[in-house]
Amino acid sequence: MKRPRIITAFCILGYLSVIFTFPQVFSPAIKKIGLFVPAIFGVLVAAYFIACVGLWHFKKWGAELYLISFFSKTFFYLIIQDTGISFYVGILTAIIFSFILLRYYPKMDKNL
Amino acid sequence: MFFVLLKESLIFAWQSLLSNKLRSFLSLLGITIGIFAIILVFTILDGLENNIRGSIQSLGNNVVYIQKWPWSFGPDYPWWKYINRPTPKYHELDELQTRCKTTQAIAYRLGARKTIKYKSNSIKNASVAGISYEFYKIKNFDLSDGRYFTQNEIEAGYAVVIIGANIAAGLFPNQDPIGKEIIIGGRKANVIGVIKKEGESLLGISFDYQAITPFNFARYIIDTKSENSDPIIYVKAKNNISNDEMIDELTGLMRAIRKIKPIAEPNFALNETSLLSKGFDSLFEVIGIAGWIIGGFSILVGGFGIANIMFVSVKERTNLIGIQKSLGAKNIFILIQFLGESVLLSFIGGFFGLLLTYIITILGKDIVGMEISLTGTNIILGFTISILIGIISGFIPAYSASQLDPVEAIRIN
Repeated sequence: MKRPRIITAFCILGYLSVIFTFPQVFSPAIKKIGLFVPAIFGVLVAAYFIACVGLWHFKKWGAELYLISFFSKTFFYLIIQDTGISFYVGILTAIIFSFILLRYYPKMDKNL
Repeated sequence: MFFVLLKESLIFAWQSLLSNKLRSFLSLLGITIGIFAIILVFTILDGLENNIRGSIQSLGNNVVYIQKWPWSFGPDYPWWKYINRPTPKYHELDELQTRCKTTQAIAYRLGARKTIKYKSNSIKNASVAGISYEFYKIKNFDLSDGRYFTQNEIEAGYAVVIIGANIAAGLFPNQDPIGKEIIIGGRKANVIGVIKKEGESLLGISFDYQAITPFNFARYIIDTKSENSDPIIYVKAKNNISNDEMIDELTGLMRAIRKIKPIAEPNFALNETSLLSKGFDSLFEVIGIAGWIIGGFSILVGGFGIANIMFVSVKERTNLIGIQKSLGAKNIFILIQFLGESVLLSFIGGFFGLLLTYIITILGKDIVGMEISLTGTNIILGFTISILIGIISGFIPAYSASQLDPVEAIRIN
């Protein structure tokens, strides 16, 4: 099945957000929190990027990885207590997109 | 099974890197420069921060400085208000010591530049300070040799002196300075102690080039009325008393001592070392962000370089991928093989970037004379960034390689 436009748009937004989020991995604010915090945050960013690639190819693993990375990232932000307005906007957007994903999930390809 | 797959993929990746040495070198150069730029900035910043924080700590933790001039970082510094203020006087120290209830220690210091001589050796423009007894309770310094002044020596103004490590080295090469008689500003004084070497300080606060004497001795060699002697009263709060509480008391007492009317502005400044720390916090934040942006862009460029090379690599080896797949290689194997290649490439790039940073820190130590060291945090950060950039920039080419149709892949020339 061809990839729906909403997922295409979301993936493009996802790629762009990775470009802007990646430098945060080594930002002084993240570095200050703890020794392995940049590494953990980096893994989350990489997982989010891989999930976007999976969704771009309309794969089930992409949707699954997206949800896992979303929950992990939310949990991470809660732990480091970085809960500004952008955090809540991010959660809202991700929840809306998760519902869209679940709608298309049965039609997605289950292979790698 | 996964690890066997990973091992085989990495061996493939390594062989591929070796077969295209120049290309591998050029693509890892981008990451090397990126990691070098960002980790060097962080390393220098850490070094500067440690040095300045160490210097601030040597000023004394939670110490209030009673001075004529306030320390200010603002653009509107009304110097004309302060120019006519009186400097702190020694008798004010006595009054404060008698009346202050919140303080643990109070000390007085003034200083001047003088020539110090011992036989044919001399040091010009050395910093000579006259201090009161409790000075040691406020300033953090250790003696490498000898002892501190006794209260009697301070009060009676004995001709005794404690010298900094560089003064000791300059005046007494290969000799023990303790008990020797030196000449400070034309007056003789006995060396009773040597301060342990502190090293260079970015704030210029170091005991290495200082000689400290009892205040009542220093008044013979230093003009105590001159503003250039920069008189200061240091006040340290008791352990269970906050600085704010002590400042309230000091303000009241100083106003009473100087007989300042209730509506009049105070003619003294109460400066805190925490003010300096706060000023530097914001400075380091700005430098850190600037370094982060510069390094971030370098890394981004390096990442695009790796992605480009990986696409070329996939295109070049399409035939090989087709053969591997037709012989039964799974998609995951092809994916890991190319992803491994990109991660390996950027990991090696990161390693060289860190190595370069390490070399610079060693050279920097000799050139700048400041302690700069590559910390564990920065090493972990460097490797983390390089591995991540390898994953992010290599995933799309690797995934597209894993999705190739074996029949069509073999056909492509």
